[in-house]
Amino acid sequence: MTRPPGAPPGCGRPLPPGHQLVEDYLAEVGARLPGPGRERAGIIAELRGGLLDAVDAYRDGGLSAPDAATAAIGEFGAPGRIAVAFGPGLALSQARRVALTLLVTGPLIGLLWATAATASHIGSRHTPPWQWVGALPGSLMVFPLAAAIATALWTALFTIAATGRATRWLPDRPRLAPGTAAVAGFGAAAADIALFVLLASQLTVAPGTLAAAPAAVAALASATRLFLASRSARHCLTTRALLA
Amino acid sequence: MRPETLKGHLDGMLLAALEPGPRHGYAIMEVLRAGSGGQFDLPTGTIYPALRRLERGGLVVGTWSEAGGRRRRVYELTPAGHHTLDAERGTWRQFSAAVTALLEPAPRPVTS
Repeated sequence: MTRPPGAPPGCGRPLPPGHQLVEDYLAEVGARLPGPGRERAGIIAELRGGLLDAVDAYRDGGLSAPDAATAAIGEFGAPGRIAVAFGPGLALSQARRVALTLLVTGPLIGLLWATAATASHIGSRHTPPWQWVGALPGSLMVFPLAAAIATALWTALFTIAATGRATRWLPDRPRLAPGTAAVAGFGAAAADIALFVLLASQLTVAPGTLAAAPAAVAALASATRLFLASRSARHCLTTRALLA
Repeated sequence: MRPETLKGHLDGMLLAALEPGPRHGYAIMEVLRAGSGGQFDLPTGTIYPALRRLERGGLVVGTWSEAGGRRRRVYELTPAGHHTLDAERGTWRQFSAAVTALLEPAPRPVTS
């Protein structure tokens, strides 16, 4: 069985002398790290390996296990300082993950709504789907919908560009990417709200024209993304604030 | 030497420490410590975020290895990392030559 990256070796068994101090230190660092849990677990696993190497080096120098652990922890630095040093990288990873998720899920949700619109159309009036939206009572929502989609798309693309290999040439501005990822998340959430307004207006005025099953699937997908995108955007803003 | 003094040079030193071959974080710190005669007294924990930053920039690549029940992330220079290290060396030689020229006392004129 593969051990999770952040888990100490031999979890559940009593730790060797001094290692509890290391684990307490790592727990303190971990509690201060922002960003995605998987990445934090990887960082803690890497720090654990280094700390235990340092403990071994001090033990080879003649220190007792607890003294060696204390010396190694002192050499690594205060937990707050380590967490602050990892903060910008974690913020970039978080922003990139949010942007990539939005770029992957956006077209899928668009496809679901297009399917719902087309199915409703074919079932009701046998007219081409591009006339469907224009015939809606809530058609004015098409403009905010387009603006929200454009905002989400461009800010997500920018976030991905600003968090990849290009980071080695770009100025060191770690607060930028979490900000643009948050805008992308809120943009996607705004697009979902606009879609719900369109759906509600259609249900109010001409409920019989809707193909129930595809519309329900699209609405469920949008509701899920609305929740997740706005939550991710808030998390990005929280991480961004911690970098101040 | 205070960590602030190293600011701006850490990336180049990390790349140089990896030039002979792949190493994990603590081994890199030992190379820096030994290579500087103990002058570089960085908190070891700050090496790891710098390595992650280099990895994000495509200058090093990190892979997990496990030996003796201990997991370590081992870093290796990429071709872009080698190229950047060469560029850093050139920049440093120019910079250090200019600073040395300014800081070293000028030879006093010989008076007869």
